[in-house]
Amino acid sequence: MKKIYFDNCLTSKPAPEVIDAMMPYLKEKFYFPQNFTKNGTEIDNDIQSFKKVVADSIGAKSSEIHFTTGGTSANNIAIKGYLSQNAGKGTHIICSVIDYPDILTNAAFFEKSGFDVTYLSADNDGQINLDELKNAIRPDTILFMTTLANHVVGAIQPIKEIRKILDSADHKIVLFADACEAYARIPIDVNELGIDLMSISAHKIHGPKGIGALYQRAGIQLAQVKHGIQRIDNLETGGISIAAIAGFAKAVELAFGKFEENTVKIRNLSNYLLNKIEKEIPHTLLNGLRGEKRAPHNMNISFDFIEGEAIMMMMDFHGVSISTGSACASQGLKPNYVLMALGRTHEQSHSSMKFTFSRYNTFEEIDYTVAKLAEVVNELRRRSPLYNEEK
Amino acid sequence: MQYSQKVLDHFMKPHNIGKLENPDATATEGSPACGDQVSIYLSVNPETQVIEDIKFQSYGCASNIATASIITDMAKGKTLEQAKKIGWKEAAEALDGLPPIKMHCSVLAVDTLRKAITDYEIKHNLAEEAVFSKDSIVEELKKVIYPQVGEDIITLKMVKYAGFENGVAIIDLDIPKFDKYRDNVAEEIREHLEKFKEIKEVKITM
Repeated sequence: MKKIYFDNCLTSKPAPEVIDAMMPYLKEKFYFPQNFTKNGTEIDNDIQSFKKVVADSIGAKSSEIHFTTGGTSANNIAIKGYLSQNAGKGTHIICSVIDYPDILTNAAFFEKSGFDVTYLSADNDGQINLDELKNAIRPDTILFMTTLANHVVGAIQPIKEIRKILDSADHKIVLFADACEAYARIPIDVNELGIDLMSISAHKIHGPKGIGALYQRAGIQLAQVKHGIQRIDNLETGGISIAAIAGFAKAVELAFGKFEENTVKIRNLSNYLLNKIEKEIPHTLLNGLRGEKRAPHNMNISFDFIEGEAIMMMMDFHGVSISTGSACASQGLKPNYVLMALGRTHEQSHSSMKFTFSRYNTFEEIDYTVAKLAEVVNELRRRSPLYNEEK
Repeated sequence: MQYSQKVLDHFMKPHNIGKLENPDATATEGSPACGDQVSIYLSVNPETQVIEDIKFQSYGCASNIATASIITDMAKGKTLEQAKKIGWKEAAEALDGLPPIKMHCSVLAVDTLRKAITDYEIKHNLAEEAVFSKDSIVEELKKVIYPQVGEDIITLKMVKYAGFENGVAIIDLDIPKFDKYRDNVAEEIREHLEKFKEIKEVKITM
């Protein structure tokens, strides 16, 4: 049976070159960096070169990059570190109701410990409300957090405009961006965009799991969140897999070596899927925007009258991996909170399917997927009392 | 967490799917907002009261479809009295088990079958419409499943108080503040109780 993977935003397959790049560090180069010794110095030099690869990809300096044990770890080190360090300057933070769970759960955590949080709303396409942002800024606002490309509908937030609004305040407001979805899919230059703290993750760009990075603009102070011995990084204490760092750097080289070519191909794949579904399957609804304001790899579509877990299971039988915003497939049995915040109904959220593409996907895979999807949707609609009422 | 092979078989090739042209009784339970709805259609022999044909339609997940399929298999050929006695645990067992988080699907399928039987009985003067009382609330709460363990909230003693006053159903739950199913349980209770015309408002304290 065919195996088609359209869930690259959940995680992606490590590139073969990535595995090759990791092998030496799993076998003979197993040392930690250490001063003065031959082995330790060699590893240290390697790590510095890997750091430069990541730094260059976002227009940062190597000294501003921390390797972390993943995107979520980077998010925690950044948010907890910044707020703990700077609570004396103010205790108000701003984020939005559609942010990634890492941001929302951290916001809730700080709310409980006495911070004020303003949750901005978003429009129906997933763009956060900038007028609300203007009104939300207070003298004690110290941090704005956002998900650069939304994890559900791919909406790219207008960071330059946001930066301008933040800069209109009389004091410095730090901008933190979770870029795990956006990284290597849209161009990011931290200086051009005015980002102060940013997290990225390797496993969503064909790198290994268990590794990510935090960008910390020079001058931004972070309190120590993870205490312990410093092996590789001063904030992500303890051991970090150097093989994973090597694999991450290779994944970055591969993604950015042909950045334009890759992202154009991925956008073409997304648009091809959307056009084909809209042409061949009736009663569908695109969630999020069309065009350039949407991250190129993300497509999210609702199929009326049926439920997403059933679609997911049937597509799984046909060898196609996609995900759903249905409550039935979620851990807490709740419909997707982003789609609900975008004004979708419960039914539209339950029937939403998310397709996330990578450079390894092909147009032929989409042809097969849409053909099977049409069968699956037909079959489930045949079984649905809602569809029969509609007819 | 995974489905048994039997659940997958019934999901991929459900038995008794569709609608009866002139059913003797029907019922629809659940709601699209909650992500699952089942309709059941019965054809009953008026002399023997045997369910001669049964069909269902389903809006819902794999286990929703599978439980409706198995329940229609189990009811077919049984008398109304026998079919009434099919329980949700029995239906889940017939599918070689369901994940706890999916147990509510079995409750919904059984509930829909029982409602269809009641519909037949009322239409044929075999029974009267149930009189609403406080007990109806408790009976209804027995259909609310706590997804963590796949048992109902009455059996699990999660309901500290259930009362009814001036059109208001008052439910006091014993459920930890950070339980990830807290909202889901409250939502399920509302869904179950709001369908009684006697209940104008559902007040839940936790």
